[in-house]
Amino acid sequence: MTSCSQESTMAKKYETVFKVGDNHEWAGKAFNHQNWQKRLRLVSDGQVFWSRTKIDILEASDSLKPYGFYLHAYGEYEVFWDGVLIGKNGNPGQEKAFGKTGKMWNTYNIPNHLTRKGSHVLALRSSLYYFPDHTRIAELEINYYDDLLTDRIIESSYMHLFAGAFLIASFYFLFLFLSNKKEYATLIFSICCFLFFALILAEFVKAYLPIHYSQHVIQLQIIGSLMFGISFLIPFYLSIQFPFPKRKLLFVIYTGILLYIFFSRYVFELTANNMVLSMWLFSFGIVTFGVYKKTKGARLLLLTLILYMPISLVTPFDKSLFVGFSLILLGMFYLLSLRIKEQRLAYENSLVQSTRLRLELLKKNIQPHFLMNTLTSLIDWVEEAPEKGVLFIEALAKEFDLFNQIENKTLIPISQEIALCRAHLEIMEYRKEINYSWQQEGIDIEQKIPPAILHTLLENGITHSLPLKDNSIKFKLIFESNSHYKCYTFLTYATSVKQATIKRKEGTGIKYIKARLTESYNSKWDFISEPTDHGWKNTLKIYS
Amino acid sequence: MNILIIEDESRIAKRIERMTRDIFGDTLQSLKHINTLDEALRFIENNSLDLVLLDLNLNGESGFDLLTTAVSESFHTIIISAYKEQAITAFEYGVLDFVPKPFNKDRLQQALNRTITKEKIKPNEIKFLAIKKRQRIQLIPLEDLLYIKGAGAYTELFLVDGKKELHDKSLEKLEQLLSYSFERVHKSYIVKMSEIRQIIVESGSKYVAELKNGTHIPIGRTKYKDIKAKWF
Repeated sequence: MTSCSQESTMAKKYETVFKVGDNHEWAGKAFNHQNWQKRLRLVSDGQVFWSRTKIDILEASDSLKPYGFYLHAYGEYEVFWDGVLIGKNGNPGQEKAFGKTGKMWNTYNIPNHLTRKGSHVLALRSSLYYFPDHTRIAELEINYYDDLLTDRIIESSYMHLFAGAFLIASFYFLFLFLSNKKEYATLIFSICCFLFFALILAEFVKAYLPIHYSQHVIQLQIIGSLMFGISFLIPFYLSIQFPFPKRKLLFVIYTGILLYIFFSRYVFELTANNMVLSMWLFSFGIVTFGVYKKTKGARLLLLTLILYMPISLVTPFDKSLFVGFSLILLGMFYLLSLRIKEQRLAYENSLVQSTRLRLELLKKNIQPHFLMNTLTSLIDWVEEAPEKGVLFIEALAKEFDLFNQIENKTLIPISQEIALCRAHLEIMEYRKEINYSWQQEGIDIEQKIPPAILHTLLENGITHSLPLKDNSIKFKLIFESNSHYKCYTFLTYATSVKQATIKRKEGTGIKYIKARLTESYNSKWDFISEPTDHGWKNTLKIYS
Repeated sequence: MNILIIEDESRIAKRIERMTRDIFGDTLQSLKHINTLDEALRFIENNSLDLVLLDLNLNGESGFDLLTTAVSESFHTIIISAYKEQAITAFEYGVLDFVPKPFNKDRLQQALNRTITKEKIKPNEIKFLAIKKRQRIQLIPLEDLLYIKGAGAYTELFLVDGKKELHDKSLEKLEQLLSYSFERVHKSYIVKMSEIRQIIVESGSKYVAELKNGTHIPIGRTKYKDIKAKWF
């Protein structure tokens, strides 16, 4: 790119003309090629044809800094400068006999005495056995020979460095995925990085790997496939980060469009361009939806996508492709770091949360309302009826013991929970002098449940209820399960405390239950607490 | 004595009842136990009481609404609660005593004695006087209070802004609750001492306290000596 401006001061190229046939006079500087064609459609059977390009050298070369040119052309050919053979790429006219030799990108040195100021002619004696319809010179750049060589090395070494960064990123995220296999976003990102690494390599491998013109199509196919992969994965990744409705359907349609473009390749650049354009449009849609939904990071990604537009308009396709893709990948990188941060915070939060829940559980039997009222009643029992007092102490000991056993657990056997409830009822009977009774139905003792959930419901039931006419309150626990869910129904048969039932707000008890359920079952649970004719009804569903 | 016990723990209620009967003996006229908030409010409205023994946590409901209502009434309120940290607030609202659970007979007796001996309560942390307005209870900060005038079973509160409010408690009961900065200067008056500008001795050895806002308040002949010794 840097040599472009120099070229105009150094030399001026005229249009290349072609002619089928073989005549060594056609190499000469003085030969008049007025009747030659500007294009040859087809040169079949590996026939020899010539091309001539008139070049004006505007400034004679320095003897220590010779001129050269960089040539990207199809075919095998011999290179003549002002009639002098200065290079050879394969065996024109005898391709079939000698096999594939030569490469597509070459740099030639022009002898110093042939680069005087004035008019010169570059003539190629070529044959195109493998692609008879590709008679063209794709690129011809005249510059200092040394610069031509080093510029390409520098360019490809930078691109390889760049590729290496993406390779490392790809490994890093692959390992991240392997350590947490639920995180598909990291895997997709890892694959994206790897494909991008491969894409850069496939494009810039020509700097050191000789590619015969017949193999160029393979290179293009590889590049096309890599781009197909990237064009699919980038929106796919974005769709994970910014979920939208009808994802599956839209993705099937998008994949269909991509495949159609991929297989209808007539002109490679167009295919690649169309794939990138569809990728851009689809991603833009997803990210816009993300911005609309106010998802974190969506704005930045939208910005990178919008930035991609002017870049692709200003720079040539192959350059904008790399710049654009790297921009988008960096945006995705940023998104991923955001998500990882969120996960870390969520994890730290969950640690705090479970510690808090544990404390809450511990607090249950030292909180003053329970403890002081119990102790007051206990003193009274001891003073008034010492034998009953002893039984009361035993009941208290039983509940404390059970609490100690479950204190550091997140799930306990249902039988233990029921034992806890029964011990609590026993204590409350001494305190409230109400006949509490416990019934259960369909209990599966194999089941587990977060600790003190039913206990909390029982406490609420006791606190908010007045006894029936016969001075009794009945609690009933029913268990049902099917393939979809397990369901506990916890019923209180009592007279509700008036008004309190109407505006009973979510107390610490209900919060505790919900936090415990979330801790063990994420969001796969339902909890309903409602008044009924006979008292109160709690329904707890755990989905499988 | 007409006493109401508000407590939702049956065993504890019985304990309080038993001890109260023991302590008051024959002086006890009636003793009622109620275990819900609504019923308690209704009972207070329709019965004349001398003392309420109140648990602040009833059936999971905060008894604070009940507390503000209780302290605005003519009777004294004693809190019996498991939550010691509520004691300060309770005193600020003007309860006679706060008995933390678990309690024994001695502690309860100490509290109940205050209703009989009329001694000033120790902590003197009262910050408000609760007065009954039409549908609600209004709390009057003590800073806004200048002096109180007895009016039969009721009292009139004279405030800094010139307003006058009625309180259901008698002058004797308020005297018991109010801090030492308030002084009973006359059988019908309690005055905030910091509001007195000077004491005027009128002919016929009549003593009058002149407040900073110019109001004159009579000082009882028997009280004068004590006040002079204590304040001047």
